[in-house]
Amino acid sequence: MGKTTLLHHLYQQLAKQSCLCSQAQGLVDNLSIFHNVFMGSLARHSSWYNIANLLSPFSKPQQQVGAICQQLELNMPLQQKVSELSGGQRQRVALARALFQQQPIFMGDEPFSALDPVMGVRLLNIVKQAHPNVICVLHDAELALTHFDRIIVISAGKVALDAQAQQLSLEHLSQHYVVADE
Amino acid sequence: MHSISSRGFLSYLGHWQKLTLGLFALVLLCWFVADTEVIALEPWAELSRMFNGFMHPDFAATEYLLDALWQTISFALLGIGLGLLLGVPLALVYQHSWVAAMCAFIRAIHEIFWALIFLQIFGLSPLTGILAIGLPYAATFARVFADILQQAPVHTIFCLPHGTSKLSALLYGRWMHVYPQIVAYIRYRFECALRSSAVLGFIGMPTLGFYLESAFRQGHYQQGGALLILFIALIGTIRFWAKPIMLWVYLPLAVYFLPPLPLFQEQLVWRFISVDILPPMLQGLPLSAWFNAGVFMSVWEWGDQLVRNQVIPGIIATLVLACCALGLTHMLTLILLPLNTRLLMPNWVTILMRAVNLILRSLPEYLLAFVFMLLLGPSMLPAIIALALHNSGLMVFLMARQSDEVTVPLTYRPRIGDYCYTVLPTIYPYFMALLFYRFEVIIRETAILGMLGVMTLGFYVDSNFAEIRFSGALLLLLFTAGLNVLVDYLTRKLIQIPRNRLQAC
Repeated sequence: MGKTTLLHHLYQQLAKQSCLCSQAQGLVDNLSIFHNVFMGSLARHSSWYNIANLLSPFSKPQQQVGAICQQLELNMPLQQKVSELSGGQRQRVALARALFQQQPIFMGDEPFSALDPVMGVRLLNIVKQAHPNVICVLHDAELALTHFDRIIVISAGKVALDAQAQQLSLEHLSQHYVVADE
Repeated sequence: MHSISSRGFLSYLGHWQKLTLGLFALVLLCWFVADTEVIALEPWAELSRMFNGFMHPDFAATEYLLDALWQTISFALLGIGLGLLLGVPLALVYQHSWVAAMCAFIRAIHEIFWALIFLQIFGLSPLTGILAIGLPYAATFARVFADILQQAPVHTIFCLPHGTSKLSALLYGRWMHVYPQIVAYIRYRFECALRSSAVLGFIGMPTLGFYLESAFRQGHYQQGGALLILFIALIGTIRFWAKPIMLWVYLPLAVYFLPPLPLFQEQLVWRFISVDILPPMLQGLPLSAWFNAGVFMSVWEWGDQLVRNQVIPGIIATLVLACCALGLTHMLTLILLPLNTRLLMPNWVTILMRAVNLILRSLPEYLLAFVFMLLLGPSMLPAIIALALHNSGLMVFLMARQSDEVTVPLTYRPRIGDYCYTVLPTIYPYFMALLFYRFEVIIRETAILGMLGVMTLGFYVDSNFAEIRFSGALLLLLFTAGLNVLVDYLTRKLIQIPRNRLQAC
């Protein structure tokens, strides 16, 4: 309760320097993987460039998007439609779009929830490499504790805990998670 | 929530059933008022000649056949092109109520009337035809695209990078979500534009309608039959020859092969807007002399006479005719729809029925009414039947797509009972929404039938134009448009109710 609202509020405050990978993903089903990821760079180009790219993709962004997709283990052709992808693949396309924004702050609303835990950790490391600041809503207590500096637990719309990760243990945190999960 | 004690008939009726019963009551009332007398005319000789004409169509008799076909397509293409050019930007600002009102007003006036107006200004120029199609279509596109865009999810826009230009955000974040619906709608509208383009021939544009009307009026049924068969084939094969890619070929060709534009006559336009459209007593009067009590009284008298003698009888006849046609459309569609449903009928029946639908919806109402008038004599009945046949053909065509997509339980058997309990309730709300939308269209279409002599608003508009009384025609058109806007508003209200609440069918 309230986690997504808080993240969206933060995003609106810091929109100029951050990217958002929301839980709703906001992928456009009728477009290819390439076009969905390309949307991360819309602000860097003129409207005319964007329109032309919609009709016939330019090669430079194709290479850039291809590189990001490789990194995120999306090995299918870039022109494949997003509607044909599985839940995990869609989540990685949304992640790729956020990465392609090339902002200093990454905000993710459970960006790894549909992935298997091992891959989730791999991708989190990629995200951390690309962004000096990472703010994530996570349900995985262990992932949160081992990879983040500061942890805020929100329960029933209120802040239940706000502490540095070093001062917390997994047992301590999982108490709250039981409450928060309800 | 009903208490258990109220087990009357009415308590089982859902919203849509009540609406349907109300509709039936209204139609019954109108049917009593309507002039539906059959005057037997011994039409069999004429009809058998007509039938013979269709059996032996003469494709070779007319060297203008291909030319007429091409002109029909080219007007439709350019009309749609203009409609899109104006309609897409309008769709983006459609949330402003004055834009919506302006579009409703433009939409409310039938293409034929737009053509009659532009005819006074541009003469028999291609511009008249293109504007007559393009303008009302732009208004329709604006509304439908705005409606479709509203259904596009909003979270994509929220995730877009800060600083994305409005145009890019709109295009990537919203339009692309609904792109398939928009393309499908344009394709459907293109079919409508072909029909409109053909109908413009009835007032003299060089499209199929022109040759059709002259062939039928002169009794050259072999030519008429050939033209009609070609027209139906043209509409039936749209999906094969009108691929989106091909538009880039057709559009330049359509512009290139346009009939020559006659010289634009400024004084004609000026005369039209400064003299012709004024009430007769104001024509030739200097502006300074307008504002005195005598002139005002005579203008009032003129308007009052027109409203009493033409507007009110016209509106009553239009509504009565449209209501009867609506009721008949409802019944015909309900009868034809099961025959078109794959969930109920074997494949060969549905394929056969689709051919029947194609013919029904391709035949211009004007021609249908013309034939029925030969058969049944001059009354409202031919017009009612023509409107109902044409519209139910279209309704079934659109509804069959819906009924084929209904997911049925595993226990479903292709029996009429199963159909009535599973398929029909699912699609009925959509059916009613479509029917009420068609009501607006039917009212607009009564315009054409007015030209056949049925005393609707269209009849009075047409006769005012014919007698070169443009001021009267324009006043009547204002009332026609007002009536359409009102009906549009009311029918939208009627079908909006159940969206908020959970309702039985």
